[in-house]
Amino acid sequence: MLVIRPLQENDLEALYAMAQSAGKGLTTLPADRDLLRRKIRHARETFDQRCAPEAGLHLFALEDTELEQCVGISGIQARVGLDEVFYNYRLSVTVNASRELGVHVRTPTLHLSNDMTDTSEICSLLLSDSHRGGGNGLLLSRCRFMFLDHFRKHFSEKVFAEMRGVSDKEGRSPLWDALGRQFFDMDFTEADVLSGLGNKSFIAELMPKFPIYLPMLPDEARAVIGRVHDNTAPALKMLQAEGFNFNGMVDIFDGGPVVEAFIHNVRTVRDSADRIVMIRSKPYVPEQGRQEEVMVCNGSFRNFRVTTVPADCVSIDTISLSASVAKALEVEAGDRVRLAPLKDTGQNPINHYRNTNHVGRSSRA
Amino acid sequence: MWLVRPAQPGDLKAILELAGGVGPRMSSTLPRKDEALAEKIEQSVRAFEGSQDPDETLRFLFVLEDTDTGAVRGVAGIDSRAGHGQPFYNYRQDALIHASHELGVSRRVDVLYPSHALTDHTLLCAFTIDPELRGTDAFELLSRARMMFIASHRHLFTDQIVVEIQGVQTDTGEVPFWDSLGRHFFNMDFETADQYSGALSKTFIAELMPPNPIYVTLLSPEAQAALGQAHEKTRPTYELLQREGFSAGAYLDIFDAGPVLEARTDHLKTIVSSLAGTLHGNPSEDGEPCLISGGGQGKFRCTVTSMAETLTRDIKVPVKTWHCLGLDSGEQVRVSPL
Repeated sequence: MLVIRPLQENDLEALYAMAQSAGKGLTTLPADRDLLRRKIRHARETFDQRCAPEAGLHLFALEDTELEQCVGISGIQARVGLDEVFYNYRLSVTVNASRELGVHVRTPTLHLSNDMTDTSEICSLLLSDSHRGGGNGLLLSRCRFMFLDHFRKHFSEKVFAEMRGVSDKEGRSPLWDALGRQFFDMDFTEADVLSGLGNKSFIAELMPKFPIYLPMLPDEARAVIGRVHDNTAPALKMLQAEGFNFNGMVDIFDGGPVVEAFIHNVRTVRDSADRIVMIRSKPYVPEQGRQEEVMVCNGSFRNFRVTTVPADCVSIDTISLSASVAKALEVEAGDRVRLAPLKDTGQNPINHYRNTNHVGRSSRA
Repeated sequence: MWLVRPAQPGDLKAILELAGGVGPRMSSTLPRKDEALAEKIEQSVRAFEGSQDPDETLRFLFVLEDTDTGAVRGVAGIDSRAGHGQPFYNYRQDALIHASHELGVSRRVDVLYPSHALTDHTLLCAFTIDPELRGTDAFELLSRARMMFIASHRHLFTDQIVVEIQGVQTDTGEVPFWDSLGRHFFNMDFETADQYSGALSKTFIAELMPPNPIYVTLLSPEAQAALGQAHEKTRPTYELLQREGFSAGAYLDIFDAGPVLEARTDHLKTIVSSLAGTLHGNPSEDGEPCLISGGGQGKFRCTVTSMAETLTRDIKVPVKTWHCLGLDSGEQVRVSPL
């Protein structure tokens, strides 16, 4: 069984191994034991509510209960830009117009901004190679929306994600070479590593503060503004399916886009529903054919748990869980849990079930 | 003889020919259209007559005339206040240090700031001369006659004086700085923008330029190389102005990045070295060559003459110089060594 739970101290080695194999491009989780240890401690303090809600860093582990090992991680930063300055470029347009001259020219322009300050960010998604596929990435990503939904007062109304921008195999970023590098004599990878070690705002402070008129940049650099790295395209697609949209902000280093959504509009949140737990004593016998999976979470801030169960465990106002699943979720019979579909199949298996229930309950009984 | 005198409506055609012959020039401020130029000459005539309004910009336009043929061979101007009521745009080249204690790095970043700081300073402008005369006494006369005028009418002008020098342009008419910057905001080449600038006003065009500072490092290498560089053919003008006491500061032309030269009016060589005195005759043509001017605001004349040495304030020059200046013995004149 795979269960989402808060990250713990003993996940350090597993986390280090994952960070190491992820390599470049994951600036928020560099393979640095001290830094990872600090992050885990921060996450523990957050879940134990020993730090202010706005300073929270919620890191979730995906645990394989058979291996008793953490095989993936994902996170939510409660608020960005509160203890350091959070920078983006805003991609806007400058218009020069004169009727007398017959001139009307639009110039795309990058403005340095701190607009994302005080907004919640989803970040740090990492999945062990051995557990790729089967919806595990979706679980890691979407469990965060269930958490955001449950504990809205800890977060901003809007949530965003920074997507990795374009760089080549050698780690060269066309935007960095045309812009950042002109102001800061350093390779992109080096700057990226420094960023991950918590120096991003220092570097940002060396970047140009005045607007950058895009026609003054070379074509290669202009072409990557607002575009994601090929490896990040699936993640972008997933977030778009959740209702996230490009908000006009880009990363100041590599030009990767920022996507955002209001939490109440996120698909996982909109499609979620509450059920009462029933503990099943008989073994589960799957129905014929392929089954939709449904995410189930408890309502605990400190011991937040999410796992998946087949959709046919859900009935009109209850959900039947095996004793082991209930134990993993730390729930008992009669507790309220929240469900949301795992995959985008075009129809919500929970609602679908509810709809068919009205007419078909007797036949299933 | 060479004579510098106020421009008259009758000089229109000659000035138009001179302005057309020197190629595109954004900031020469000499329009190449009949009506616009006629208006400019009118402004000058009004300025020489003396304005009733002390706040009004006086825009003087002088011509260089060959008195033997009556031909106009050059033109030069003074605006008492740059921008004449509108902002006068320049870029100020400045530097920022991007440094971080935490990262132990420091880097100098050159920035061009749009500036209006030179607005209302007296501006020398519109200097255009027949290319054959470059580097001759006539050339020096035309340029320095303006300083002689300022010396005699100091109250009309400010303490700081500036002059824009044409920037780098290739033989095919391309201006690297414009192509790297201004062009993006206008979608037109320098020549076209230049024509609009002459027909409307430079400020009008300048106001369409980006209002934010520009990072030098993002300009093309050619544009960076052109910053503060004078066009090759302006070298004689540039050198003459340097001898006069002008020097390049931090200001650049916003279209071609040519240097803007600055000086303190009271430190200009012509003004410091000039001497006012009474006109007298000299039977011989011997003596030191010098500039001589007289005739007051409306009838200002300036020419080159030889002057006999005197120990008094009597200025002894050949009688033909009197005629050229339109003055008689005993009248007040001003001289300065050539």
